Amino acid sequence: MSRVLFAFAMLLAFGVMKLPAEHALSLQHRSASGGQSDDIANLDLREKIGQLGFVAALSGFRAMLADFLFIQAHAAWERTEWGRVLFLFRQVTTLQPHVPLFWDMAAWHMAWNASAAAMNDPSQPRLALRVKAQREYFALGKDFLERGVKNNPDKPQLHEALARLYRDKYNDHARASEYFAKASALPGAASYDKRFSAYELSYCEGREREAYECLHGLYAKSEKERLPTLIKRLKFLEEKLNVPPEQRIPDKER
Amino acid sequence: MSERLHRGFSPARIFAISINTLIELTRQKVFYVLLLFALLLIGCSVFMARFTFQQEFQILKDISLGAMSIFSALLAIVGTARLIPQDIDDRTVYTILAKPIPRFEYLLGKLFGVLLLLAISIALMSALFVVVLYVRERTVLNETLRQMSRAPGEQLDAAVNAIRAAGLNIDILTGVAVIYLKACLLAALTLFVSTFATTNIFTVVVMVFVYFIGHLQATAREYWLEEQSAGWVARTFLAIVALIFPDLQAFNLVDEIVAGVAIPLVLLAKTALLGIFYTAIYTLAATFVFYGKEL
Amino acid sequence: MNDLPRRSGAEAGAAVAVEGLSKVFPVPFRRKSITAVRDLNLRVEAGEVYGLLGPNGSGKSTTLKIILGLAAPTRGRTKIFGRDSSLVESRQAVGFLPENPYFYKFLTGEETLRFFGKLCRVNGSRLKSRVRELLELVGLTNARDQRLSTYSKGMLQRIGLAQALINEPKLVVLDEPTAGVDPAGSRDIRNLIVDLKQRGITVLLSSHLLTQVQEICDRVGILARGVLVREGHLEELIAIENRCELVLENASEALVKEIEKLATNSNARLIDRRKSTTTLERLFLEATQESESSAKHAK
Ligand SMILES: Nc1ncnc2c1ncn2[C@@H]1O[C@H](COP(=O)(O)OP(=O)(O)O)[C@@H](O)[C@H]1O
Ligand SMILES: [Mg+2]
Repeated sequence: MSRVLFAFAMLLAFGVMKLPAEHALSLQHRSASGGQSDDIANLDLREKIGQLGFVAALSGFRAMLADFLFIQAHAAWERTEWGRVLFLFRQVTTLQPHVPLFWDMAAWHMAWNASAAAMNDPSQPRLALRVKAQREYFALGKDFLERGVKNNPDKPQLHEALARLYRDKYNDHARASEYFAKASALPGAASYDKRFSAYELSYCEGREREAYECLHGLYAKSEKERLPTLIKRLKFLEEKLNVPPEQRIPDKER
Repeated sequence: MSERLHRGFSPARIFAISINTLIELTRQKVFYVLLLFALLLIGCSVFMARFTFQQEFQILKDISLGAMSIFSALLAIVGTARLIPQDIDDRTVYTILAKPIPRFEYLLGKLFGVLLLLAISIALMSALFVVVLYVRERTVLNETLRQMSRAPGEQLDAAVNAIRAAGLNIDILTGVAVIYLKACLLAALTLFVSTFATTNIFTVVVMVFVYFIGHLQATAREYWLEEQSAGWVARTFLAIVALIFPDLQAFNLVDEIVAGVAIPLVLLAKTALLGIFYTAIYTLAATFVFYGKEL
Repeated sequence: MNDLPRRSGAEAGAAVAVEGLSKVFPVPFRRKSITAVRDLNLRVEAGEVYGLLGPNGSGKSTTLKIILGLAAPTRGRTKIFGRDSSLVESRQAVGFLPENPYFYKFLTGEETLRFFGKLCRVNGSRLKSRVRELLELVGLTNARDQRLSTYSKGMLQRIGLAQALINEPKLVVLDEPTAGVDPAGSRDIRNLIVDLKQRGITVLLSSHLLTQVQEICDRVGILARGVLVREGHLEELIAIENRCELVLENASEALVKEIEKLATNSNARLIDRRKSTTTLERLFLEATQESESSAKHAK
């Protein structure tokens, strides 16, 4: 028995030795995974996922729990229970803040699906209220993406999704352009991000020159970029900026 | 003359015990766990039909790696808990230790047997997982290529890249290595507990407890180090948790890796070192207690 | 082992030496404790067959375990060929067959011997030939590929004996080698022990049934409640100094009467007249009963 006690004393001594290294390691671990919201023990999470989920999350079941909730959210979407979809996605993204897919899906369900459903809600006869509900869903989608971007600043996918949201739901071309541009600067970005950013810029009053330079640069860069939309936008800008004819692009491609 | 040979440390002897332990463990039908894993994977793949491939791959990876982590921990705990008590109950330990074998060689042999089993099981699970994911990736890729055969090259490239990014990724294997280290640590700790436990149930219960507390250890440690306001009872409790329990959360790199977070090599190396260190210390403690044990 | 002859006299000769050995088991959660062995002194000379006898619970197994370093003595010490039992090297030339041996039942007889051979660092062709020899010796050649889970009690005992001999030991310790084995099996084991003795191997065995071992032991010690109550060469023990027992065949009743009369005429007193019994058995019962009653008196 005394040997067991001695062994525990040994473990305690080892514990004192390992403590600084272990602490430093977990700080490094945290900063590697992108920081702040990773503190899984935070109160916010506990509130959101309940006691049982909290324990599960703390014992290596975190990813699985998130997937389980995600699947539930998927089912709720199929039944068009929007409140539940929102509730579940909040849990999913809190559990797995570093999976862009979840942020993306959450925002898409809110800003595209739920908002459309709200707009076509037959139980709400007043248009003003339907529009209001729709705007609220847009805002929820935007909120998901903004937090997603904050947690995953190096993932082009989320910047791109945010740009699309600004473009399609808010008609905010400046913001859309900004986020497409941000996405295009990140590793792994789609090749069209840069072009889309320029397209959006071309719709912004007062920034035509900027947009023109951008588009022209792309046009000059390679044959591949000379898509119909690009040529159309470029011509539109040439017109608007009164570009001298000799500098304009040829009318007929090829 | 032969005396010097006997006195020394003998890897061959340890190996003989390890292999024997491995056979013993496989006879205990531990490989049913692997079957369960296979079923889980297949069930998962069937069920996933209604999701997009990104969602499917994400869930497939999460479930596979999560199951690997839990099953290997379970194997480590349940497999190790019975080893020594069983040998003592059956009196096989008498025949072994009545031979000129130092007790630490016996313990090391047993532990290595478990570690071997864990390595084999994790390798099999990984292989299965990689094959399933690879097959799914190929299928999705082929389907996409067929469907998009008339789409512009740029779109096709983007689609293929998206599938590749969501699919198999070599970094996952480093995550698996860390899962193995965690299982090794748990096996060594179980060995230690089993040297003084009175029943196997006790060992398993203690280890399940350790498993949960171990995942909370980092939190307890932080509170202890940073929260000066807590009362001394709470602080003592937190200190004991932080000092005695292993930080199992440190070995959960897999979540991050699946999410695509690049884990720096230095961090990986340090985590590995921590795992090896814990395993060694627990083995040492087990040996120490076992040397004083009446058989 | 080469340095053995150089050791001084008596010390070197003893295969096993037990000096002032006591073993106390604490009983958990009570103030009580069990004294399994009390101040035991024993010597087993090299080359002899020594029988440690005593009823169940008399401390035989405990003594053997301490000799083999499997348990620690509370007081005193034990040595094998002059080396303290706490040292791993002391077990170098020792084979042990525990009480009711039980091996890994998923192994076959041959695999079991190979496993124990490897533990003793017997390898390669030497291991192979040794395993074949031993299977032959204990008569399990035919059962070599059978799993131990299908072995009978007697077969287990024999594979246990073979296992104890794998490293060509100079001392073999057998705890209840014949317990639970049928008469024929028990005879086989006894023959094997005689065989070992002839090969110059020292044997220390324990038994609670002395009829089974009396004919093979050179010396016996009788343990009762952890105390060595009798010890010596068989003939010495059986011969009670002031008594003699006549065993007659075909004696007429008249002759017996005559002898009785002669006895009463002299100083001798006829205590008992009985059919001949296993004398050692009687000794054994007497010795252990003495200790019983003295224990009662002590209370
Ligand atoms: N590990 C143990 N813990 C407590 N008591 C024990 C232990 N081993 C043996 N004893 C006690 O010591 C005594 C002697 O046991 P043992 O040596 O097994 O006797 P034998 O082999 O002669 O039958 C018995 O009373 C037994 O109950
Ligand atoms: Mg006994």
